[in-house]
Amino acid sequence: MIYVAYIFMIIGCFFAFAGTVGVLRMPDAYCRMQSSTNIATLGTLGALLGGFIFSLTLKNTSMALKILFIAIFIIITNPVAGHAICKAAYKSGVKAEKLTCDDYGRDFPNE
Amino acid sequence: MNSLIIVSIFYILLALALSYRVFKGPSAVDRVVAADSIDLLTVVALVLFSVFSKRAIYLDIALTIAILGFIGTLLISKYLEGKL
Amino acid sequence: MKSTKFSSIFSTFIFCYLFWILFTWTFTSQELITGAVVSFLVAVLTARFFIHQNAFHLFNPVRFFNLVLYIFVFLKELWKANVDVAKRALNPNLPINPGIVKVPVGLESEYGMSMLANSITLTPGTITMDITEENGKNYFYIHWIDVAEKDREKAGDAIKGTLENWIRRIWK
Repeated sequence: MIYVAYIFMIIGCFFAFAGTVGVLRMPDAYCRMQSSTNIATLGTLGALLGGFIFSLTLKNTSMALKILFIAIFIIITNPVAGHAICKAAYKSGVKAEKLTCDDYGRDFPNE
Repeated sequence: MNSLIIVSIFYILLALALSYRVFKGPSAVDRVVAADSIDLLTVVALVLFSVFSKRAIYLDIALTIAILGFIGTLLISKYLEGKL
Repeated sequence: MKSTKFSSIFSTFIFCYLFWILFTWTFTSQELITGAVVSFLVAVLTARFFIHQNAFHLFNPVRFFNLVLYIFVFLKELWKANVDVAKRALNPNLPINPGIVKVPVGLESEYGMSMLANSITLTPGTITMDITEENGKNYFYIHWIDVAEKDREKAGDAIKGTLENWIRRIWK
């Protein structure tokens, strides 16, 4: 049982590391957002599920339920923030390095 | 048991690495994205530390940080969009 | 209309009360009664912002079973997209090809569209920017990290995959 928790934690560590490297390396703001989604989904979810299983092995049910609730809360709220910040970046005039196609700029040229 | 503290130290180191983007980031959006990620990493580190020390108070702090990070990101993005 | 109002208040009340019990985690009578009163007040005041259509829509067993199955389908998509973006970020050459594409959506209800938009945003590699309506059809603007298809229909198939059909079984 406890090895399952270790496996989840290692998965979380790997994806959080990949997301951090992506945020530091990516060329423009939009691609950095994509990499930060990597941290917010499997990077946190893996480690939180690891902690959930770990606290179940310690027979601490209320703590396990709270950890599960925190995971669900992050999963529900993160896309709302991502959507809002992406639209705000476009409207406040952050330029992308290179875009192969830009349908939004073609349909709303004055924003 | 020690694995929990090692993983949470790893997450804190990742959060410190992200603070480079907060200080340097060319635009405000980069800073907000990096700060949001720092919030999430801190939440994970606090949760693992609370399992390590068997105190539920850290879980409440982690939940509060998650809620405040979400609200702050939403507020700043609405401000940048010009709707506030 | 009357039943919609009652069901939305009732389900908001259940939701708030569950959260109260989860946060406090003490089962004395004082705590429980205070929680019930506070959640009832919150439910009466905020139900109209929270739930717009009949809240018992989801309690159909077929739809509920589909919702549970959807979680596993979504987790599989999440794993694939995460591995893809992690590979791109760790690759020394940084093979990205970003672009904003416009994608048609075949869903009608508000909840279905918001669920699809949130699922797309939650998978790394795609972020929904905006939703517009043209001639009775809904379109998403999606920022995609690797534009494989510029054509709308094919890009839609590549991004949405099977998620749209699963959501149509839940929300129409």
